[in-house]
Amino acid sequence: MTRRTTPEIARLPRLACLARASVIVATMAAPRGVWAFHQLADQAVDHAAPASRTPANAGPSARHEPGEIGRRIAAASPGDTVIVPAGIYREHLLVDKPVALIAEAGAVIDGGGSGDIVEITAPDVTIRGFVIRNTGIDLDKENAAIRITAPRAVIEHNTLEDILFGIDLREAPDSRVAFNRVGGKRLDIARRGDGLRLWRSDRSVIESNTIHDGRDAILWYSKGIVVRNNVGYDCRYGLHLMFSDDVTITGNEFSRNSVGIYLMYSTGVEITGNRLIRNRGPSGYGIGLKETDQFSVRDNAIVGNRSGVYIDGSPFTDKRPGEFTRNTIAYNDVGFTFLPSARGNELTDNNFIDNIDQVAIAGRGSLDANRFWKGERGNFWSDYTGYDQNGDGIGDFVHESQTLFENMMDKEPKLRLFLFSPAQQAIEFVGRALPAVRPEPKFVDEVPLMSPVLIDIPSRAGSTNSHIGVVGLVMGIAGAGVVLGAGRLCPLVALTTRLASRRSPRTTAGEAT
Amino acid sequence: MAHTRPSITGIPHPPCTLATIAWVGVRELRDAVGTRWFALYTLAFAALGLGVSFVSAAGSGGQGLSSFGRTSAGLINLVLLVVPLMALSAGASSIASDRERGMLAYLLAQPVSRTELLLGKYLGLAVALLSCILLGLGLCGIVVGSRGGSLDASSIIWLAGLSLLLALGMLATGMLISVVTRRASVATGTAVFLWLALVFGTDLALMAGTLTFRLRIEELFALSLINPLQVFKMWSLHAIDSTLDVLGPAALYAVEEHGNGLHGLFALCLGLWILLPLALACVLFSRKGAS
Repeated sequence: MTRRTTPEIARLPRLACLARASVIVATMAAPRGVWAFHQLADQAVDHAAPASRTPANAGPSARHEPGEIGRRIAAASPGDTVIVPAGIYREHLLVDKPVALIAEAGAVIDGGGSGDIVEITAPDVTIRGFVIRNTGIDLDKENAAIRITAPRAVIEHNTLEDILFGIDLREAPDSRVAFNRVGGKRLDIARRGDGLRLWRSDRSVIESNTIHDGRDAILWYSKGIVVRNNVGYDCRYGLHLMFSDDVTITGNEFSRNSVGIYLMYSTGVEITGNRLIRNRGPSGYGIGLKETDQFSVRDNAIVGNRSGVYIDGSPFTDKRPGEFTRNTIAYNDVGFTFLPSARGNELTDNNFIDNIDQVAIAGRGSLDANRFWKGERGNFWSDYTGYDQNGDGIGDFVHESQTLFENMMDKEPKLRLFLFSPAQQAIEFVGRALPAVRPEPKFVDEVPLMSPVLIDIPSRAGSTNSHIGVVGLVMGIAGAGVVLGAGRLCPLVALTTRLASRRSPRTTAGEAT
Repeated sequence: MAHTRPSITGIPHPPCTLATIAWVGVRELRDAVGTRWFALYTLAFAALGLGVSFVSAAGSGGQGLSSFGRTSAGLINLVLLVVPLMALSAGASSIASDRERGMLAYLLAQPVSRTELLLGKYLGLAVALLSCILLGLGLCGIVVGSRGGSLDASSIIWLAGLSLLLALGMLATGMLISVVTRRASVATGTAVFLWLALVFGTDLALMAGTLTFRLRIEELFALSLINPLQVFKMWSLHAIDSTLDVLGPAALYAVEEHGNGLHGLFALCLGLWILLPLALACVLFSRKGAS
């Protein structure tokens, strides 16, 4: 192995040097042991290359000059499996034949902060186990860690770090994206790319991925997608559907995004058993539905969002009522927000627990076109004030939501500033006491449930707080101590002042008289 | 020797200003703790706090979900109602009732300056209020700790601290009322009126203003900073849950505009409500002495 850092090499085209760097990486790649190896590989590259550090403006055509992995692909025949040993490979990869690239632990593909990193143009390609990092940040060119433009790709167990777009499937139907971890660049939200994007990639499966610090995970024009057991946090939209039909979304957890799941212009969507937690910020919806049709939303936990569910013009047609069943909608600022355009939804067996505003109509309008009970099943409302004398689990009185302040807030959101203040309660009291100002009920649930419908929500380890008991005890003792000790403080002060007065000539004279 | 300082109630007089203030303060604290209002308010505060804790603990059970801020919202509401009333009326009755009973003349006959007397009383009452707040919130903490609830240790400490700040401000205002009014009943009446105005009046007026004048959100937020109760509420939500956006567009604006500076802004507002009335009370009270 030679280390040539002569000027001639520096003057060579950049990618030739990159290739040379990769050769060195590969030849050094013999020793086992990931960490030692990392260092070696880094050293090797550093020795090789003033060139590898030059600004990366080589352009997309030059990008496809093969590096070490590239040459292995070139040497493989279709259907082969290429095992890539550990090492840092600073190259941009073009996979143009159906091969499986399997990384040994510690194989890193580093894009050097430019362009896309892996481009897949052949069908039936598998990429498994890589760390892929450091794409460019060109939003116009949509620099992606993995871009797929052929069907039946399998992208599994990869870790994507410091990337603009993560996994970008364009017309790649029947693909599988599973067990990947996609972490975006910590850019301002407007400058980020999508952690995951599907474009016309029907029947793909998105499973058990973790996506964070990206813009959206988004499906465009893709039918029959399954999105299962993924986790998304600190993004803009945890999952976003545009014109994507027959999608199943199940067992995912989306938290701390601006919106958990946003469905737009899609038909036939099943949303079951997801957790949508604390999606706040400018939009702040757990689930948003815009002109979505024939959907059902079942068994989800929708907790702590600014608005648990936000419904705009859905269902879009009257083919099937919008179904909301057995969801727990708890501790949101607003449980359900209906736009006046939302008609034909049916809510049954849901738990509405302590949302500040359980159901709101944004602006003026009515909820008449939506139903809050069906047959003998209504919903559980934590603010239901009736009782159940015959013990059938159904409240004996209808549940009507009619609080004056909620009504005012729905019409003028600025008034939320006065939440939790005694003035709010004064208004509620007036609303209850004076029929003249009592608002029309927003909606009626004729068969409200007396107890919550239990649904199985895998709960994260709940915060058991024994500390607060101790703190409370200390505070109580301190308070009581002051009260009880107040009388006894006087002798103490007397003592200190007596001591002080001994030293003070002015008062010593006074004492003496 | 200009004059000697004889002792009251068996305590030798203190030699310097700070000690004098402390001496008056301890005396005031002892008196305050023994009074009916103190026992009543402490009991009411503790009982209502316990109620809030029990109810919210009961509400959050069953689903393994913690309630975000339900307990704290209840406690904030409780503090907003009780603490200003307690502090205002304590402050208002302090000087005025002493004056009515002739106690003020007696005290001022001692070698105690008027400013020392006022500050001493302020400190004594402040400690009394602090102990009341600690007792009430401490009991809540014990209940939440034993029964499960959404509050954690740091938030109840925040709540106690902010309640104390609110109490200090309201106490200073109450003492200002006490200084300027002649009779104790007038002082108490004024205090209760002010309490009503702060708890209900300003908020209702602002709501009406929002609806009729279509106030912009920045105007609404700025106006809401005038009311120390609103400031306390916003600060508590910001500190405990860090979800000020629960308060809608005006609060979202505040978070975006001020970000982490919100703590400082709220502190400034509450600080002004403590310092200005207290300073004014001191000036007016000592000027009365001069005339």
